[in-house]
Amino acid sequence: MSDALNDIIDVFQSVDAETRLDLLLDYSGRMPKLPEKYQSQAAHDLARVQECMTPVFLWMEKEGDKLRIFAEVAEEAPTVKGFVSILIAAFDNQPCADVAAAPTDLVKQLGLDGQIRMNRAVGLTAILSRVRRAAA
Amino acid sequence: MAQDKTYAHPEMLVSTDWVNEHRGETDKYRIVESDEDVLLYATGHIPEAVKIDWVNDLNDPIVRDYVEGDAFAALCSKHGISNDTTVIFYGDKNNWWACYALWVFMLNGHTKCLIMDGGRKKWVDEGKPLTKDVPKYPPAKFKANAKNPAIRALRDQTLAHAKAKKALIDVRSPAEFSGERTHMPEYPQEGVLRGGHIPGAKNVPWAKAVAESGEFKPRAELEKLYLGEAGLKPGEEVVAYCRIGERSSHTWFVLKYLLGFEDVKNYDGSWTEWGNAVGMPIEKTYQPK
Repeated sequence: MSDALNDIIDVFQSVDAETRLDLLLDYSGRMPKLPEKYQSQAAHDLARVQECMTPVFLWMEKEGDKLRIFAEVAEEAPTVKGFVSILIAAFDNQPCADVAAAPTDLVKQLGLDGQIRMNRAVGLTAILSRVRRAAA
Repeated sequence: MAQDKTYAHPEMLVSTDWVNEHRGETDKYRIVESDEDVLLYATGHIPEAVKIDWVNDLNDPIVRDYVEGDAFAALCSKHGISNDTTVIFYGDKNNWWACYALWVFMLNGHTKCLIMDGGRKKWVDEGKPLTKDVPKYPPAKFKANAKNPAIRALRDQTLAHAKAKKALIDVRSPAEFSGERTHMPEYPQEGVLRGGHIPGAKNVPWAKAVAESGEFKPRAELEKLYLGEAGLKPGEEVVAYCRIGERSSHTWFVLKYLLGFEDVKNYDGSWTEWGNAVGMPIEKTYQPK
């Protein structure tokens, strides 16, 4: 597991439930800006994560042995946006091997499974699966 | 879209303009935001609104049931809601969860409830005031009422209803209705062991009841959907369901207050109960290719 991810999980696990939501909200406000080349409608059409009810767009490329991740998430879904922002913070520019080995139960490890509806957790896991597959 | 006065109970809906005019009357009204996304309220909300969250506030943490009695009274009291307060619900996703919260309040016998038509999206789109400040209301006296079980269907009631060939509306997506979709592989505990629908149920996905703006469609269009396509007859007993009863409470609201069906019940156990329960009859229309 990458250090970046470890650190994030540590922080989440060390605070109470309410603070975890604050952290998630914080992350939702910190998503990196989407590069020009992904801003077109065509680019969006290819990048939609179908399993997620919310509009989520993911672009991933290998740069050497590292994975680059870019994303766009609808503003009305801060929970999803926060989770995707965490994925970027944990995995963007990290060795592919580390990303491919990321835990599948990340929602649970972040201590969010009690506060996020099951349906929502399903979508988030689908997003994580996509990222792991891209790194494989 | 102007409010449709031909709804059976147009007084159950208030417009965003009306809420904006009256939101300061916090002794009479309590505005409640109830969203699918638990973080949305924190990003900005109607200044006088409090948040009531389905996951954290309305569910019993141990038993699959809703908070009731003293626990419900405590929730209301905390938000300064008294037995005389009119609670105005709004939320994201076409007032989906707002209707669910309203249904739980009605189930607990608090009938002074309204929906802000158009929900959160309309308020935001109209550029109406939003704040991140969380209002604090002095605790109110709230006496737990007798529950109103008439709006709720339990599993065996629903089975009897289905056997008697009475009206059932399944508000899930067509793929869930047909049995094509049962669960996502990574979350088996969210999954259902069997896919399909309750025999005799008609499929009217819940969001068909709303327009682009997030407001409910006019009565004429709703009648086309529910009486026309789904074949409901005025005055008949209806049970609506989905997976956990949250989408179907939206349809419950439509059938009861907009179309005037007097005997409508929300089967909140819904497919997560029916599709996992031993021996329940299932109709599966999905044919794998």
